[in-house]
Amino acid sequence: MSTDTQTPQRSFDGWKWGGRVFLTLLLIFTVMPMAWMLITSLKTGFAAMQYPPQWWPSEPTLSNYTRLLDPSNSVGQDFLRYFWNSLWVSTATTILAVIVAVPAAYAFSRFRFPGRTFLFFAVLLRNMFPAVIFLVPLFILMRLLGLVNTHGSLILTYLTFGLPLAIWLLKGFYDNIPIQLEQAARIDGATRFQAFLYIVMPLSTPGIIATSIYSFIGAWNEYIYAYTFLTRHDQMTLPVGIQRFFSENATDWPGLMAATFMMSVPVVVHFLVLQLYIVRALAEGSVKH
Amino acid sequence: MTNMQGRHRRPGSPLRRQVFAYSIALAATVPLLSSTAFAQAVDVSKWSPDYIRSIAGTETFDTAGQCGSVVPNDYSGRVSYWYTGPFEADPQIAHDQDKAFWEAFKAAYPNIQTDVQSITYNELLDKFRTALLGNAAPMVVRLQILGGVEFAAKGYLNPLKPEDVGYASADFWPGALKSVTWEGESYGIPTNNETMGFIWNAKIFADAGLDPEKPPATWDDVVAYSKQIHDKLGIAGYGLVAKQNAGNTPFRFMPEVWAYGGGALDEASANPTYETVEINSEGTKKALQTAVDMYVRDKSVPTSALTNTQAENQAPFIAGQLAMMIAHPAEYAKMLDLASKATGADKEMADAVVENMRYGLIPEGPARRAVVFGGSNIHVVQPEYVEGGQVDEQAVKALICMWTSPEWSTKLSWVGSNPGHLGGFKTEWMKERLDTIKFLDVTTSMLPNGIPFPVLPEAPEIMNIIVPDMLQNALTGAMTVDEAADDAAQKIEALRGGGL
Repeated sequence: MSTDTQTPQRSFDGWKWGGRVFLTLLLIFTVMPMAWMLITSLKTGFAAMQYPPQWWPSEPTLSNYTRLLDPSNSVGQDFLRYFWNSLWVSTATTILAVIVAVPAAYAFSRFRFPGRTFLFFAVLLRNMFPAVIFLVPLFILMRLLGLVNTHGSLILTYLTFGLPLAIWLLKGFYDNIPIQLEQAARIDGATRFQAFLYIVMPLSTPGIIATSIYSFIGAWNEYIYAYTFLTRHDQMTLPVGIQRFFSENATDWPGLMAATFMMSVPVVVHFLVLQLYIVRALAEGSVKH
Repeated sequence: MTNMQGRHRRPGSPLRRQVFAYSIALAATVPLLSSTAFAQAVDVSKWSPDYIRSIAGTETFDTAGQCGSVVPNDYSGRVSYWYTGPFEADPQIAHDQDKAFWEAFKAAYPNIQTDVQSITYNELLDKFRTALLGNAAPMVVRLQILGGVEFAAKGYLNPLKPEDVGYASADFWPGALKSVTWEGESYGIPTNNETMGFIWNAKIFADAGLDPEKPPATWDDVVAYSKQIHDKLGIAGYGLVAKQNAGNTPFRFMPEVWAYGGGALDEASANPTYETVEINSEGTKKALQTAVDMYVRDKSVPTSALTNTQAENQAPFIAGQLAMMIAHPAEYAKMLDLASKATGADKEMADAVVENMRYGLIPEGPARRAVVFGGSNIHVVQPEYVEGGQVDEQAVKALICMWTSPEWSTKLSWVGSNPGHLGGFKTEWMKERLDTIKFLDVTTSMLPNGIPFPVLPEAPEIMNIIVPDMLQNALTGAMTVDEAADDAAQKIEALRGGGL
């Protein structure tokens, strides 16, 4: 008995290969700017202006990073201060957004009260207009409140457009947590608050984390309000602070790229660590229980 | 800057007391002002590189003492100030001089508290506008040369002239003083004035068969040189920039327009009235035609010229891919700074680039040799728009006196400009600058060819939007040269009539 083992001939799958090529191009398109940013940050000012460009610097240097991270020089002092300011504003915005959005979203999800639908869409109304429309009115308001040149002005402003999104996201999440779980807890003697705290909150953790990330990234990258409300260097956040690499007739490209890379690190790390929760939170909305 | 707090008083403000106190201070200082005012520092009619060299280092100034006679050195007060200081991309010496100024001011006026914010060039105007709307502006602001007109016209600025801080108007360029004058009243003092020069790569010129030491003498030569360089070497000849809504574009295109006898309005005439629109004159059309010839016909300028600012020209120039361009003095200083910081193989290349850099006068045209008269002016804001609603007049004067002095107007414009106070040209520091910054010779000698943009609140719109739009319309072929010029003329007329 012959034991011929014939390898099944695999036909060329054009769709599969086409998809792979497309994804590879997409990957290059996505990764190239980041890679170029990193490579430029390792160059000297002169090398960054070479054409054709040096794909890898002939004299790579970390001096742009050491300059930014060295608190003994003025550039380092300013950069670290901007970094800390951004971290403080983004974290405070995120915490406040979650503290307010969690009960608000729960209320919109579970309670039936007059004007519920109207109020829910009214909350979203703020996000239907371009941010620039509110710029001068908010500036005047902050001025009246004595908040110009303070981080309070930014935190308050970021909440006005971060909260609606947070409430909207979390409401979708609560809608998908079966109410029977809470009812069971109530039958077992839990108060409504206990049922919320011990049953709903743990189940909604992915949603809260996803909301926090959106809120944090929004505040971390925000430029136009920070640009308008802050003129003092000791208050500036990173997106505004890195403007110092541009001057009237020249740009410090390697310094700018190093600062931008450093600026992107917390967001990328944050996202990578918590991406599982984001995916889960987004997927929750797609299934009806 | 007379009685600056008395113009728009607020109910309940402690204005009367201040006016009384300032009146006493003013009465005490007026005789000093007249005795300390400088005589005309420089004979502008003799202006030439040799004359500038001959006067440099011939006079010494005691800045703290001079300003002390305007505002006593023991005066106690507070001043807030916004300006564009040195940032990361600026050469180290600019940082050093800026630091030295604030140390000198502290030494001269130890009891004046300063609240200083250095804001980048591109942000300053926007931030200042917003701050004015929210009554959160600083007491003193330094703006680009035509930035102040808009605010003077809207009533945000206090009258201010050189005599208010102990100097004579004759010690400043007439063109610079014109740029701070609105409806016959002066609203600022020039801090620095500069013109650009022409820079080229001698090696590229030689490789293209041109005389490496001889720049194009006329704008027609620029077109011919650019074509020859492109045809022989395949690289860009002239660094045309035509980006919309960018100040770099008119700063490089208007000199050519004026050289051919054109203009946006009649700003190039001896006594401009800004009443006649000349953007569709024959001169302007000729200049526009040369841009079209280089971009469309010869393809001898960067393809990306439509979206390029001058910053995008620097890299190809340094890399030997662009032969010539109009350059700001600061750009030359920046290239030297970059070369000095390069290491290893880069260092060799950088030194070669510097070695091949040449600089000369901006080419002339059939009508004249022209360049944009640039610079900055210092202004005082009306108290009601200032944070806290008050302006400390004496502290403000002390700061402005120091900043616009021959000494500091020279030192603070070390690499990028020239002293606003003409006395600065006589200082030892001017001599040092002339000895160390080669390009300076050229840019200082271009000063008499400087033409200020129209002193109108609409000037930024005309120069930064309408002129680049005209260029874009012609270069992209959306319109013919005639159509683009006529379209621009209609827009300017509509703008002047309040219709845009």
